[in-house]
Amino acid sequence: MKYGGYKGKILRVNLTTRKTSIMEITDEFARKYLGGNGFAVRFLFDMIDPRIDAFDPTNVIAMMTGPFQGIYVPTSGKYLLAAKSPLTNGYFDSISGGQIGAEIKYAGYDGILIIGRADKPVYIFVDDDKVEFKSAERLWGRLTSETQEMIKEEIGDPRLSVSAIGPAGENKVRYACVITEYRAAGRGGIGAVMGSKNLKAIAVRGSGTNEPANPEALEAWMKWYNEEVKKVPALTTGLPVYGTPILVSSINNMFGGFGTRNYQTEYFEGWEGLCAELLKSKYWDKDSACPACPIASSKIFSVKEGKWKGAISEGPDYETIYSFGSMCGINDIGLVIKADSMCDEYGMDTVSCGVTISFIMECYEKGLITKENTDGMEFKFGNDDVVIQSIEKIAKRIGIGDLMAEGSLRAARIIGGNSERFAIQVKGLEIPGHSARALRGMALGYAVASRGGSHHDPRPTGEYAGASDRKAVEGKASWVIGTMRWTTIGDSMIICHFLERLLGYTLNQRHVDMINPVTGFGYTYEELVDVAERILDLERAFNVRAGIRRKDDTLPRRFLEEPIASGPSKGMHTDEFTLNKMLDEFYELKGWDKRTGIPTKEKLIRIGLEDVALELEKL
Amino acid sequence: MSIVIAQEKKPLIKFDAQKCIFCKICELVCARYHYGKYGSAISRINIVRRGIKSLRYLICTRCEKRFCIAACPRKALSYKGGNIVVNEDLCDSCGDCVKACPFLGIKLHPETKKPIICDLCNGDPQCVKHCPRGALTLIWLSR
Repeated sequence: MKYGGYKGKILRVNLTTRKTSIMEITDEFARKYLGGNGFAVRFLFDMIDPRIDAFDPTNVIAMMTGPFQGIYVPTSGKYLLAAKSPLTNGYFDSISGGQIGAEIKYAGYDGILIIGRADKPVYIFVDDDKVEFKSAERLWGRLTSETQEMIKEEIGDPRLSVSAIGPAGENKVRYACVITEYRAAGRGGIGAVMGSKNLKAIAVRGSGTNEPANPEALEAWMKWYNEEVKKVPALTTGLPVYGTPILVSSINNMFGGFGTRNYQTEYFEGWEGLCAELLKSKYWDKDSACPACPIASSKIFSVKEGKWKGAISEGPDYETIYSFGSMCGINDIGLVIKADSMCDEYGMDTVSCGVTISFIMECYEKGLITKENTDGMEFKFGNDDVVIQSIEKIAKRIGIGDLMAEGSLRAARIIGGNSERFAIQVKGLEIPGHSARALRGMALGYAVASRGGSHHDPRPTGEYAGASDRKAVEGKASWVIGTMRWTTIGDSMIICHFLERLLGYTLNQRHVDMINPVTGFGYTYEELVDVAERILDLERAFNVRAGIRRKDDTLPRRFLEEPIASGPSKGMHTDEFTLNKMLDEFYELKGWDKRTGIPTKEKLIRIGLEDVALELEKL
Repeated sequence: MSIVIAQEKKPLIKFDAQKCIFCKICELVCARYHYGKYGSAISRINIVRRGIKSLRYLICTRCEKRFCIAACPRKALSYKGGNIVVNEDLCDSCGDCVKACPFLGIKLHPETKKPIICDLCNGDPQCVKHCPRGALTLIWLSR
């Protein structure tokens, strides 16, 4: 490999046969797909029959790095997991902080592809070029933190990096996550895919190195970063001091987009019980970070008194405060800390979990389900005991937990009674705490994102900051395309989306200037745009083969039909007509067929995906 | 540049676990300074986490017992100017020093197989310099 930041090798692990092999990647491949997201989608497109059930043994888990892992560039301490999602049935990737990304590089790989299903619970131990399948029978049923500790002890190395699932993954909760240290590859249910493969954990240790193509140029970039970052308050005070909870008060009080009681409104009167100032003054223990990140947006919070005394967690982050707080109608941050820690330990996505509980609460209050269906629990908004009991029941699939473990869309289809109109999800993925009604770009963005209701495909940050008018329809398709190009490139490098406040909200020359010193590609902006489009359209092509079309690019009926009921954004929403108008514009700019939402042959050929065009022609 | 370390003072890189954010930037800059590359196995400092709040740093503490020197069958290690110094010609890479250190402060270089031990980066320890939260400090202890 002549480029910097790559090892040129992918480790392939077959759990069924317990055999491993090495696949080499070429210079051209690296340049065409960059890494992380780009590598994962290409491998998954080539390896998976997109019509399979996500729990089929032939589903593939791609554990990928980008060129930045293991190199000192702020926020590069990450890795990516991808698979066909049991929630969306489409391509899904989820990024997590964790030293394991760097260790994969140091072990000599750009990524690991895991296929098949083990006959008994196992974990994989990758020690440079030695790969072992180790029994996980005594780890099965264990929480994520104890699993990691037990593996470190078994191997006898406290430095070892481990990514593990908890009981939720073992029980195939459709939104089970994968935990590394205390950080989550949270969304989309890849933890459940691991569980379906009888794979409890992946442990990696590498004795090698990674280095940039041009160290001097990278040093110059670091000088630029260190100067420029000083001018960005969010990265020097907001996130380092308060973390993402700082968003609670502005999203609620300025933007009126704080989903409340399953989005019956978007202003939460109890916000003061959930805000960053309260967390910092009464619950904060210390700051924490992903590897290679000086920002340290993560915080360790504990409950010192009251009902949830003794609960301690790394987090909650903003999304968790939304999902278990305002969405469940709860104004006690202590409960949120408890719920956050339980989800981390059981290995479950806090967003999907909280939003599904909130959905069930609305079904209960509307009389669509009764105590007879809920094991006697009173699913009223604000009932904190029900939240805690639900988390355990979901993770173990006990009673009504078995229904909730399916996620809000599947639960709605079972409950019926038109409940699907207020199941807060897109393509099966629960929507996070960034309003599709108060932010026009998120309305379009959620509708078209490959992952469905994800705020890491389109980003809300630029609309909060006023870089794009949050109410405008005009020009929004182009804005959303720009943000999605940036996030997919960020996910391929892999760096943190929080750098958007420094680098820009849409793909631009600054991203080129950051990639070139590490890789030595000498990308132009135009070439990087093509890389982004290639990755995004390949995701779409995967989903098209899985059956997704324009009709699926939509929002919950509630968002299309009911304006926000109260608060600063009262009256706002995007109706079906407006959404369709933006969709038309979006497909046209993308070079996708407006009627079907399928990328056109011309477009795919232009970005170097002739083979994909041929595949789609077969449909 | 080289500095003379007064014999009566002992250097120590001190660790404040409360300030440490577990970013491991110290590991990255240590490897970069010594080898021009990044790698956790060639860093002379490592930060490890056990449980939610317990952080430890693994580095040579210049302890009084000098377990490593005593353990070396070839007398390849000595204490000079505040550092444990390896005579690589005498060292046969047996790894006894690694096993002897209770602080997990020594490891063998993955390629050369010779012990690598914190050397204070010629008086300007990179881990201290680049720690974003001031969790690592260089102090001088009187004997």
